[in-house]
Amino acid sequence: MSTYFNSVIRKRMILIGFVFLVWFVVILTRLVHLQIFEHARYKSEVVDQNQKKIESEPKRGTIYDRNGRIMARSLPVPSVFFQPPKNETPAELMAEVDRIRGLLQLSENDMARIEGRIRKKDPFIWIKRKIDPAIAEKIKDLGLGSVFLKEENDRFYPMGRRAAHVLGGVDIDMKGRTGVEQEYDSVLKGEKGQVLILRDARRRGYHVQTLKEAVAGRDIYLTIDEAIQYFAEKELEKTVAAHNADWGTVIVSNPGTGEILAMANCPTYDPNDFPPPVEAVRNKAIQDMFEPGSTFKVVTAAAARETQSVSLTDVFDCSDGAIEVGGGSVRDHVRMGMLSFEDVLVRSSNVGTIKIASRVGEKPFFSTILNFRFGQPTGIDLPGEAAGKVRPLDRWNRLMSLSHVAIGYEISVTAAQLLQAINIIANDGKHIPLRVTLNRPAGDLDRPEGPVRAVENTISERTARELTAVFEKAVREGTGTSAKLDGFEVAGKTGTAQIYDRALRSYVSSRHMAAFVGFVPAENPALSMTIVINEPKGIQQYGGQVAAPVFREIAARSLRYLHVRPRIETEPIITAKLEKVKPQ
Amino acid sequence: MVRKKMNAKLIALGVGSICLLLVILTFYIWYQTEAIRLGLESGKLENKIQSLKEEIKQLEVRKAALLSLDRVEKTAREQLGFSEPRPDQVVYEDNDFQAARQP
Repeated sequence: MSTYFNSVIRKRMILIGFVFLVWFVVILTRLVHLQIFEHARYKSEVVDQNQKKIESEPKRGTIYDRNGRIMARSLPVPSVFFQPPKNETPAELMAEVDRIRGLLQLSENDMARIEGRIRKKDPFIWIKRKIDPAIAEKIKDLGLGSVFLKEENDRFYPMGRRAAHVLGGVDIDMKGRTGVEQEYDSVLKGEKGQVLILRDARRRGYHVQTLKEAVAGRDIYLTIDEAIQYFAEKELEKTVAAHNADWGTVIVSNPGTGEILAMANCPTYDPNDFPPPVEAVRNKAIQDMFEPGSTFKVVTAAAARETQSVSLTDVFDCSDGAIEVGGGSVRDHVRMGMLSFEDVLVRSSNVGTIKIASRVGEKPFFSTILNFRFGQPTGIDLPGEAAGKVRPLDRWNRLMSLSHVAIGYEISVTAAQLLQAINIIANDGKHIPLRVTLNRPAGDLDRPEGPVRAVENTISERTARELTAVFEKAVREGTGTSAKLDGFEVAGKTGTAQIYDRALRSYVSSRHMAAFVGFVPAENPALSMTIVINEPKGIQQYGGQVAAPVFREIAARSLRYLHVRPRIETEPIITAKLEKVKPQ
Repeated sequence: MVRKKMNAKLIALGVGSICLLLVILTFYIWYQTEAIRLGLESGKLENKIQSLKEEIKQLEVRKAALLSLDRVEKTAREQLGFSEPRPDQVVYEDNDFQAARQP
């Protein structure tokens, strides 16, 4: 019996053992299949379900004015995005988006865009970026499974339109598109970081781990002074409106350092609403070229004195009021009689200036133009600067070009180039490059600026001083009297140029560009300025009538603001001071 | 079978060891719990510091907007009745501007 039972039990044991063996082999095979052959696929599915790596945005650097006032700063704002689960139909997913449509005020276009991306099985869809934090809170309270909030940074310009063209602007992805934002984008933007989000079975994030810390961008200090920028913008806006002009631009600098204290354009825009309207996009101070008219006589006069081809006592006959140039004639606005070199410039005689230029000669004159760096960008640290147009000497019309260029035609310049030229006179002949940023570390307002960048002599100190005296007289009793300031000697030159009409292929006598370039105080300049008002309409169209008063108004307020004392004898102020008396 | 008599000293040592172990374990658990609690607290405070720093930055931006010169001038002129000073009303304390041509 026992042998029989032993035999049965043994068979059964073998059978059970075999079943277990088969089961084990099946399990093992499946395990090998899952762990080895399908390892990569399942791992990626698990990672996809449980983890998500996202880039963390670095904080963009702040832009300050020269006194540490905030001009642009990035602040965190929420953005809403959608991560559709794979097991739901587009209709179900759209139903979820529809729940927040009202809150986010999504348009038909937005809904169509989102639906299109859902149908393409896009795993990450922006619903709306940079929304109001209060609305973000409401969305969070809804507890939607596939709708998430992400913190992004938005750019804020607290002063609105102030220095808009210097600051520029950023796009929705915080990339600098114009101005300093574009020029210094690599410095301002910082480096992106990486964050790992661990999620539960319902794909809700329960843990956030920073894999790589985002590196914030560097702060930048502008040479712009917010107060002077304000004076310039206000005065320019007022003038453009009063004369119904097409546009205007003003640049104010400290000639001794090349630092731009203000750069204003009209029309302008609010960088908070970037991109700006088409008519306000261009920074006219550095991007728009124009024929400088009589303001260019500064260069003609410099060439005459630098080459010694004209002496200060030379007299020119301007009594005809006109001079023949290449078959045509160039006129003065009035007959002026016999004029000295000085008076030719003070009264801005075209006839006299052409006679001066003819004594200088083409080659030395052209050389002086190049020495003043016309025909090349000033190198100011702003993007898109125009080079201006200086026709090569071999393409000059031998009968006309010398005369035309001498009075500021047949040559195109920018307002920044004119400022650079007048700064050379103000700096005793030295060229100091223009710039809009200070080389100053963040938070170190008290650190003195380093020496100014490369200084080169363009003309001699003697010529610069002589021309300063001439242009002082031009403001005191010549065409620039509207720029006169009580208590200060102003040196400056007016300019009025007819505008060339491409359609008519000729100059139009009713369309003008009015300009003024100058510096103050003439003996020790604290400010230099270029003002260009394009196409003023009305009775007043001359530079001396339209642009020179802008100089006066901006200079008066700026000099007072900068504590530059006028040469006015005022009543002495008697002050009293209390001192502690020692007890006897 | 002969039952061994337990030494009272041994019992006391055993009980003492167990008590000591319990005390150490209790301390360890308390220490761990406290460390986690303080860690969480510290994390919360760090988050709060961060959010306060952000708030300061936001307030600085708001301050800059409120101190914008056109707004200040408008307030000074329209609400406070200020006006532009005449040249003889301006008192200069010192001339600290670095001009181009140094003496």
